[in-house]
Amino acid sequence: MFGSKWVRCSVLLGTAVLAAASWSATASPARAEDVIRFGAPLPLTGPLAPEGIKQKEGYDLWAEQANKAGGISVGGKKYKVEIVYSDYQSNTPRAVQTTEQMITQDNVNFLFGAFGSGAAKAASTVSEKYKVPTIAAAASSVQVYDQGYKYFFGTFTPNDTLTTPLTQIVKAKAPDVKKVAILARNDLFPLAIAQEMEKSAKANGLEVVYFEKYAIGTLDHSAALSQIKSLSPQWIFITGYVNDLLLARKQMVDQEIKAPVVTMIAGPAYRDFIDSAGKSAENLTSASWWHPAEEYQGKDVFGSTSNFVKLFHAKYNYDPDYGQASAAVCGALFQLAIEKADSLDRDKVRDALASLDVVTFWGPVKFGANGQINSLEPPVFQIQNAKPVVLFPEAIKQGDLQLGVN
Amino acid sequence: MWLTQVLINALVLGCLYACIAIGFSLVWGVLNVINLIHGSFIVLGSYLAFGLYQTLGISPWYAIIVAAPLFFVLGYLLQFLLLNRVINAPVLVTLTMTFGLDLILNNAMIYFFKADYRKLTLSPPMGSVSLFHAVVPIDRLIATVAALALTGLLYLVLRRLRVGRAIVAVRLDRDAAVLMGVDVKSIYAVAFGLGAALAGCAGVLMALVYPISPLTSSTFLGKAFVVCVLGGLGSVSGALAGGVLLALVEGVGTTFLGPEHATTLSFVLLIVFLIVRPQGLLGRKGFE
Repeated sequence: MFGSKWVRCSVLLGTAVLAAASWSATASPARAEDVIRFGAPLPLTGPLAPEGIKQKEGYDLWAEQANKAGGISVGGKKYKVEIVYSDYQSNTPRAVQTTEQMITQDNVNFLFGAFGSGAAKAASTVSEKYKVPTIAAAASSVQVYDQGYKYFFGTFTPNDTLTTPLTQIVKAKAPDVKKVAILARNDLFPLAIAQEMEKSAKANGLEVVYFEKYAIGTLDHSAALSQIKSLSPQWIFITGYVNDLLLARKQMVDQEIKAPVVTMIAGPAYRDFIDSAGKSAENLTSASWWHPAEEYQGKDVFGSTSNFVKLFHAKYNYDPDYGQASAAVCGALFQLAIEKADSLDRDKVRDALASLDVVTFWGPVKFGANGQINSLEPPVFQIQNAKPVVLFPEAIKQGDLQLGVN
Repeated sequence: MWLTQVLINALVLGCLYACIAIGFSLVWGVLNVINLIHGSFIVLGSYLAFGLYQTLGISPWYAIIVAAPLFFVLGYLLQFLLLNRVINAPVLVTLTMTFGLDLILNNAMIYFFKADYRKLTLSPPMGSVSLFHAVVPIDRLIATVAALALTGLLYLVLRRLRVGRAIVAVRLDRDAAVLMGVDVKSIYAVAFGLGAALAGCAGVLMALVYPISPLTSSTFLGKAFVVCVLGGLGSVSGALAGGVLLALVEGVGTTFLGPEHATTLSFVLLIVFLIVRPQGLLGRKGFE
């Protein structure tokens, strides 16, 4: 009795879902002649959703600004920008699928890369196969770019460009720092950056006394931190995402672990980390690919860094971090390349991207032979008085390294 | 020296794990329902504590008093109105039901609270005390004591109160309990309500220790699952024993094998228990 009711319900539900799916497929606007379509596969639900949503905000802001200025001009004609989104649910195999779907069914002209190095690399095989120029907004690992692909570009410099300047600053300002302890989230980017840190520490004559990984979803760092404390390093370097780093920082305070230098990547680049960590965020150092405190005068649709921050704030009512900025600059770069090529031909736009050499609100942009940006100097910064202060590069420096994290 | 620290950390963490798991264990043991909404209840409890502290300045210690009845009513109604309708269906149906409810609650929390991580930071901070040459944070210590108190309270309810005896009776033999005049449906609702109340209280305590976000619910649920299997289903003291065992294995594993292997070790232990001692540390065989 009950069983049949249950079956009937599920059949009804299934039909409804199918109907909804087919409706949404037909409801998406038909391809118009004066529109350029950009495909953006994103993790809009699932564990990576916060990052995926940030990227969407960046793309949306660019599309809005580009359209407000009349669109992208090709051959004397203005084309409106349209972004086609698909949610791959934080599931990498699905990112590959939706990317293919966007090319073959949604007929997008160009693509943005999937989120993070892992998914971007996986999806890049598809875009390369169909020769669709793609710019990845959040892929830093060199392994993504060393596949010999021609149509794939990225706006993040290699991970060592974050750790090397940081190590050099610490070495110059804190000669007493000799021992480094590194604790890394066992995840593509956090682990890669920790390994780079290990390399640059060794290259600069520092001793790495502790290097361990913790699993994704770790609920307790106390055992690892106790061990670190017993080794009394002068520099503690922890990688992970906001939740991991908030927990690790709290447990450091709990166990009264102090060090002259404490670096956390990527938490302090985010406003919610600084707000949540409160006083314990003081004097933490970090590095990222972009920071709203920078000041570049660019030739892109946003003009300058401060104008980008202003426009972003007006639309979303908070300050952008490097995630949203990178997404927005990907759009702006496509716009510059398409206008330079003066064509929608994928090969011509690809060549225009490869030969791009321009300053944007993101900083100077020039892609290397492998497609990865090689012109950017990522900023090193420190939280001082609850505000991020840029320590490097020299041109946009706002303060000096302060020692002592208690 | 730091080994003492590791052991004390593990004991404290074990009590927190027990606190996460005990409501889950009760519901699974009595109702034979794998309650997948448990993790989201914990997170909702954390948001309650966070909200009360941020807006009204109510300390999380008092928030427990608000959370317990609130979550009890929520759990009671959920069981009474929804789950009781499918309680006699195969276990997969109740599992699917709680899975669906969890999706709804979790996404509602993402919608209303956003997925950003928040932190309940007491001002002034509570600091730490020194115990056997080891540093123990006071907030964790209080959470430990509260976890022990909640466990003890549940033990007393199940042993001493009429409703508690009825819950145990239903757990032991449902048909016999019906013959003795126990209203099984309302006992189910009470048990589920108690489970939800314990989850809510655990959430309030966790707010002091962990960053708060709807995304952490699955992590809590995973821990609860392991603790239950280790300790024994439906057993109050089993949850405590399972929690401490899990935390000890994780702590010692982290120290000697590195933190990345702590999780591996705890799941190996889980598999070993499932093969060698499926009833758990303190569970009794044939107690379904």
